[in-house]
Amino acid sequence: MATTPRSGGSSSGAAQRPNGTSQNKSCQFKLVLLGESAVGKSSLVLRFVKGQFHEYQESTIGAAFLTQTICIEDTVVKFEIWDTAGQERYHSLAPMYYRGAQAAIVVYDIQNQDSFQRAKTWVKELHKQASPNIVIALAGNKADLSNIRVVEFDEAKQYAEENGLLFMETSAKTGMNVNDIFLAIAKKLPKNDNNPGTVIKPNGNESTQTTNNCCK
Amino acid sequence: MAAGATSLTKSETRRLCAITFFARLHPGDVCGSNGLPLTPNSIAILGRSQRLKELQHEHLCQYLDVVRGKHERTIVVSEYVGCTLEDYVKRHSQTPIKQTHILRIFHQVASGLAVLHAQRLVVHNLEPRHILVEGSKDAVQVKLFNYGMHHMTKGGAYVPFPIGNVRYMSPERLLGVNGNIKSDVWAWAMLLLEQLLQTELWPKLKLSNIAWKVLAFARNTKVSVVEKIAREHQRLELYQQLPLEVRELLERCLSVLPAQRPLPAELLQHPCFAQLSQAPAVRPDASAEPVPLLLRCPLTQIYHLWQLAGGDVQAELKKEGLIRSEAPILALPQIVRLSGASVCPPRSQSYLMDDRVVLLKLQPLLQRLSRLPASVYFPLLHMPRQQQQQQQQQQQQQEQQQQLPLLIRERDIEYQFRRVRLFTRLLHGYPHTAEQLQREAAIDIPPLLRGPIWAALLGVLPNASYAKIDKFTATSTDRQIEVDIPRCHQYDELLSSPDGHRKLKRLLKAWVTAHPQYVYWQGLDSLTAPFLYLNFNNEEMAFLSLFRFIPKYLQWFFLKDNSAIIKEYLCKFSQLSAFHEPLLAQHLASINFIPELFAIPWFLTMFSHVFPLHKILHLWDKLMLGDSSYPLFIGVAILKQLKSTLLNSGFNECILLFSDLPDIVMESCVIESQKMYECTPKSITHRQHALRVQTPHVLDIGAGEVELQHLQSELCPRISAKDVHQLLLHAPEQLALIDLRSVVEFGHVHVPHSINIPFATVQLGEQRLEALQVPQLEVQLRQRIVVCVSNIHQHAVEFSQFLVACGVLRTCILHKGFNVLHSIEPNILISN
Repeated sequence: MATTPRSGGSSSGAAQRPNGTSQNKSCQFKLVLLGESAVGKSSLVLRFVKGQFHEYQESTIGAAFLTQTICIEDTVVKFEIWDTAGQERYHSLAPMYYRGAQAAIVVYDIQNQDSFQRAKTWVKELHKQASPNIVIALAGNKADLSNIRVVEFDEAKQYAEENGLLFMETSAKTGMNVNDIFLAIAKKLPKNDNNPGTVIKPNGNESTQTTNNCCK
Repeated sequence: MAAGATSLTKSETRRLCAITFFARLHPGDVCGSNGLPLTPNSIAILGRSQRLKELQHEHLCQYLDVVRGKHERTIVVSEYVGCTLEDYVKRHSQTPIKQTHILRIFHQVASGLAVLHAQRLVVHNLEPRHILVEGSKDAVQVKLFNYGMHHMTKGGAYVPFPIGNVRYMSPERLLGVNGNIKSDVWAWAMLLLEQLLQTELWPKLKLSNIAWKVLAFARNTKVSVVEKIAREHQRLELYQQLPLEVRELLERCLSVLPAQRPLPAELLQHPCFAQLSQAPAVRPDASAEPVPLLLRCPLTQIYHLWQLAGGDVQAELKKEGLIRSEAPILALPQIVRLSGASVCPPRSQSYLMDDRVVLLKLQPLLQRLSRLPASVYFPLLHMPRQQQQQQQQQQQQQEQQQQLPLLIRERDIEYQFRRVRLFTRLLHGYPHTAEQLQREAAIDIPPLLRGPIWAALLGVLPNASYAKIDKFTATSTDRQIEVDIPRCHQYDELLSSPDGHRKLKRLLKAWVTAHPQYVYWQGLDSLTAPFLYLNFNNEEMAFLSLFRFIPKYLQWFFLKDNSAIIKEYLCKFSQLSAFHEPLLAQHLASINFIPELFAIPWFLTMFSHVFPLHKILHLWDKLMLGDSSYPLFIGVAILKQLKSTLLNSGFNECILLFSDLPDIVMESCVIESQKMYECTPKSITHRQHALRVQTPHVLDIGAGEVELQHLQSELCPRISAKDVHQLLLHAPEQLALIDLRSVVEFGHVHVPHSINIPFATVQLGEQRLEALQVPQLEVQLRQRIVVCVSNIHQHAVEFSQFLVACGVLRTCILHKGFNVLHSIEPNILISN
C-alpha cells in the first residue's frame, strides 16, 4: 500500500530525501490548530505557509491540511498542519486530528474573552486526551488590534506558564510572531526520540492507527 | 442636460439610460471595529439599490442595474422616457401650458410619490430634471426619474455630495432633517408653484442665499410662504387669480411644519384634481405607430439582451466623455505622511460630479431581433397539432444549438431571448407547467431567470410564511452566524454589501427558528448564499428555496448529532467511487485517504463552500434536476477529473490538492456526473437517511435493512432484487450476474445467462481476473453492471472486493442474496 515509506515521528530521514541536504537531519511533525471559530486559525496557517493574509478568509468546514518546512540549526523540520473547524459542533471531529499530533497551537482572539475560555477548555482536553508528550502553544491572535483588547497579555502569559504552554501574541495580519511561534514549537519538539507510533494520519478509527496504515 | 434635450426625436427607441457618480472614498487604510477593512461605499450602494429594481409603477422609471466602476464610481442604469419637465416647459415657452395640464402632470408626480411613500421611501431630490414627461396635450405620461438616490446612498451618507436641489428644499431639510416624505410634498408644491406662476424661482440667487431666504420665510409664520414667494417674484396677482382650491393646496403643502402638510396619498384625493381623474386614461401606446414587440417585454429582459448584444454601460459613458481614463501615475501621492495621510495632486476634472444622463441606444438590438416571429416573443405552450408541426421545424434548428457548449449558449443573444421568453411563460403558468418546466430546465436554464426557475424546480409555492418567522430575537447561534457571514463568498459584491449581510443573517436565523429539530452548522451560510444571490430582492423565495432544498439533498444533515448521517453518506460515497472508479478508489483507500478528511465540506454544503458562485450556479442547475443521490456523483466526477494526479500522489499530496481545490472544469464535471447518475440503478445509492418519497417496494432495500457497520465493511454497494429484475427484463445486455454458489446449487436453479463461479473454488490471493480461470470473463463483464450473488453474504462481499481490486467497473452485491430472487413473480429462475 505504501509507495514511499515514511519515517515516523522524528528520525533521520536525510538519505531518503531526493533533494535533501544529506548532512541534515529531517523530521516531520504533525501539528493541529484548535480554537474558537473566527479567531484566526486558518489565517495563522496561511501566513506561515504562504505568507499571505486574506481579510475575508473563508470559514473552515471539517478541516484543512497544509504543510510547511523550516530549518532550525541543522535540522529540517516539516510541519504537517491540520487546521480544524472552530465551531463547537465540529468538536466531535477534533480528536481525529489531534490524536497522535506532536504539537498543537490553541488560538484565541485577544478581543474576545469567550475565545480565551474556549482555549483553556481545549488545553484541558489536550492534556487529557492527546499524546502525553504533545507540545502545546497558546496563541493570542489579532495582536494588531491590541488597542481594543479584552484579554490581557499578563493574564494569558500567567495561564500559559501555569500549564506549561508556549505563549505568544500573534497577528496573522501583520505577520507578528507567526513564524516565531512555529519556530518555538519546532525547537521544543524532541528531534531524536524515534517514536514511530506518534505520527499518525488522522483517522477516526483508533485501532488502525497502530497498524501500518498510518504511514504512507 | 443638453444631451437629453437634443435627443428627443427618437425617444421611443431610447428607453434606457445611465447616470454616474462617485461614492465617498474611505480615508486610507482604515479598518472597522472588527479589524476588517471598511466595506467600500460603492458596494454598500450596490446592495441598497437592489430593492429599487423591484419598484414597477407607471409613474416611476424602473431601475435596472447598478454597476461599480473603478475608484468607487457607481453607474445607475434605469428606464428613461420622453423629456424632462425642464425641457418640456422650454418647448412650450411660446404658449404657456394650461393650468389643467400642469395639474395633470403634478397629479401623476404625486401618484409616484404616493407609491414611494407606501414603500417607505423618500425622494428628496425632486426637481424638474427628475420629472420625465412623455406625449403632449391631454395624453401625457409622467414618470419620476432618479428618485432612488436618497435611498441607495443612505440619505447621502455614501456620497461626497448633497442630495437634492436647494431651490426646492423644505426648511427642515435645510436644517438637516431628512427622511420625511413631507419634505417631498414641499418640493412637489414648490415645483407646482413654479409652473403655475410661470417663472423660475430665484434664478440668479446664490444657493446660500436661497437657503437663507427659505429659512427666513419659515421663521415668520404670520404670512404664508406661498404669498411671500409670489410677491418676491412679482407674481402675486397671478397667484391670486389661481382657483381657491389650488391656492389652498399650495398653502397646506408649503406649511412650515411638516405635520401640517398633507401626505402624497391625500394630495391625490384633493378636490383640485377631481375633474382630471375623469379625463380619458392616458396610454402612451395610443399613438399611431405600433410599438415593436420587443418593447412589450419587461425592461429587465430588454436590458439583459442589450448587454448580451454587446452593450456596455461603461463604454457608453466613455463615449459621452463621462468616464475619462487617465494615466495612473498622475494620481500618485507626492507626499505620504507617517500617519498615512497623503498629499495628492489635485484631482482631475474627471472625478467631479457630472450629472448628465446618457441614453443607451436600443435600435441595434431591435433590428437584431426584429426578424424573429411573434411566436418567439410570445410562445404558445399548448397548441393545436398543425402548429406543433411547424414548431417542430424550428425546434430542430434549436436542438442543433443545444449541442453547443453551455457558455456559448449563454452568450447567444437569440438563443437566450427564446429561452427567456419561453421560461417567462412557463413561470407564469407554474405550478401547472411544472412538468414542462422541468423538461426545459434539463436542457439549460437562462441565467436571467435562474432564481425563480430553481424555486419552481424545488416546488416552492410562496405562502407568506416567511414574514411570520421570527428573525430578530437573539439566540445562542447569533455569534456564530455573525462571524461566518463576513467570510461567506465575500468576493461577490452583493453578498459583501451591508444589505447582503443583513439579508443573509435574517435568512439563517429564520431557517434555524423554523427548524427546532436542527441547529446551525457552519456551512449553512455557504449553502444559503446562492439562493440569496439569485433572489436578492425576494427573501421569501430565497428562504423557501433553501427550505425545500435541504430536506431534498441534506435530510438530517443539520441535526445536532449528525455523525450517523454523515458517516453513512461518506460511506456511500466511497462505495460509489469503487463502483465507478475502482482503481482510483482502491488507491485512495490504500493511502488511507478517507472521505472524512476532505469530503465533509463538499456534501454538507453541496459544494457551495468549495466553489465560487459562478460554478455553483451551473452545478446546481443540474443538481436541482436530480434526486438526493446526485451530489454523490458530482463528488465522484470531481475525483474522476483529478484521477491522474491522485493516482500518482501519496497521502500528503492528495490532501493538499483538496485543501486548495484546483480549477475543476465544471461543464465536464456536470456531464460526467450526469452520465454516472443515469447509468446507476437507484438502489445502488440507497441511504437509510435519505428523504423517502414513496414507501419502498418489497424487493427494494428497505429502511433500516443495511446498518452502518455493514455499510462500512462493504467496499461495493448493494443492489436490490427489484433493480436486478428490471435490468433482466429491460436491459439484459447491461447486466452480468456472477453466481457464487456451488455448481450443484447453480445446476438446481439459477438466473439465465448468469456466470457461475463457485466461491469455494476460487483463490483470491492474486488480484487478476485471469486467476479465476473463467474463459473470457473480462469481456463478459465489460460495460455491464456486475452483480455478485451468493447465499452467503460474506462471500459476495469478499468476491466483490476482489473484482474492484482487479479494476472491474460497476461491481455490486445483491441485497439479501440469491434466495430473494425466488420471490420475484413471475419466476425468472431456470434450472438445468
